Amino acid sequence: MKKRMLAFAALLLMGLLHACEKPQQKFETEFIDLFDTVSQVVGYAADYKEFSKFTKKLHEALLEYHKLYDIYNSYEEVNNLKTINDSAGKSPVKVDKRIVELIIFSKKIHSQTNGLVNIALGPVLKIWHDFRTLAAENPKEAAVPEIALLKQANEYTNIEDVLVDEAASTVFLRYEGMALDVGAIAKGYALERVCEAFEHAGYKSILINLGGNVRAIGAGQNDKPFRVGIKNPLGGKFLNIIAVRDRSLVSSGGYERYYMFNGRRYHHIIDPNTLCPSDYFEAVSVLCRDSALADALSTAIFIMDYESGLALINSLEGVEALWVLHSGEIKYSKGFKAFIVN
Amino acid sequence: MKFCKRTDLAVIALILALAGVFYTLHSARQKETAAFAEIYYYNTLVETVALTTGEERTFSVKEAPNVLFRLYKDGAICFFSSDCPDKICVNTGLLSEVGQMAACLPNGLVLKIVSLAADELGADIAIG
Repeated sequence: MKKRMLAFAALLLMGLLHACEKPQQKFETEFIDLFDTVSQVVGYAADYKEFSKFTKKLHEALLEYHKLYDIYNSYEEVNNLKTINDSAGKSPVKVDKRIVELIIFSKKIHSQTNGLVNIALGPVLKIWHDFRTLAAENPKEAAVPEIALLKQANEYTNIEDVLVDEAASTVFLRYEGMALDVGAIAKGYALERVCEAFEHAGYKSILINLGGNVRAIGAGQNDKPFRVGIKNPLGGKFLNIIAVRDRSLVSSGGYERYYMFNGRRYHHIIDPNTLCPSDYFEAVSVLCRDSALADALSTAIFIMDYESGLALINSLEGVEALWVLHSGEIKYSKGFKAFIVN
Repeated sequence: MKFCKRTDLAVIALILALAGVFYTLHSARQKETAAFAEIYYYNTLVETVALTTGEERTFSVKEAPNVLFRLYKDGAICFFSSDCPDKICVNTGLLSEVGQMAACLPNGLVLKIVSLAADELGADIAIG
């Protein structure tokens, strides 16, 4: 009898010791030198050394994509998107296959979204970027570009004139005046490719936020999904907290990159049909496995009406979305609420 | 045959009581979720601000004196003004929930809301 009791006590004590066992610790870090935005990494590891070893590798991988997809800066011995833009109308540019793959993916998305996500819209986006920068530096000088100027720039935004030779790994913009701008796609695409590589390498519990593009590798502590809060663009508490495991969650909205003119907000998400900032929603979020797709779709459904956006989301397997209307009302796709945990 | 003696029951009761104490302490620790704001200058933590003091003030950090932060009575905090060209940091608005973050890239500043204790009800990361 005593033996049985001792065994029972030992089992209980083992249980207690297990409960008090030091778990994998949670660590966080930020990068401020990637894709003109702030990135955040959350992960579980045995110690900080293990975590920082991972984040160093992650930063190196993302930095390579950052340099390749940069449209503003040149880098030694790197032909990037700026090189392609600078060579518009002159000659094809031999580039890394990661640029070729991005452009092929972007063309597919262009077709899937009826042209709403267009990486050739650079000339129009540059005008808005310049007006936004001017207004931020000197609010008294704020203005809105003339529609004639925007239409003139729009003459050079046909994605069919972005010529890709996959075999030769070259890209050529057929006319001078054309320019690529991959702001609606590049962060999500780069993040997806990098996360895939880390998944194959065996990493299991990492959450990355690359400027509003969140991607989870595995889940959090004790195999519970990571918790991602969606900010309410109209202020106050989170709209929702979403359970994310091996998925991506991307938000788009006009509440950070904008300027004010005559009491109206002019943000950075431009509708290729009107050549002006889209005005359907305060914000949208897309939830799906692939971060590249989530990034592109979040831009696409931000610049189409709710019914068209819902139809697009419903046509794709494993994709969910939410829309925040100007009134504060929130609309969800059919399966989105299953991921809400608050 | 009796299953166990009175002393055995006492041992079981003692172990269960100990388990209860451990569980209570563990739960209490999980519920300590008072939030703080952390301010980083190029990845170095330069200021920690308690958000539950009820005070309202505007301040800067010595590493970037041209950037002002504002703490509000209700525990919200924000980039109040900045000499940066794009003002994205100011436009980000108020932060108050664990997981939220804002950044002023030209000045190398990151402002984020953290909980010093494990917070199973908060967010790991916030977007939007």
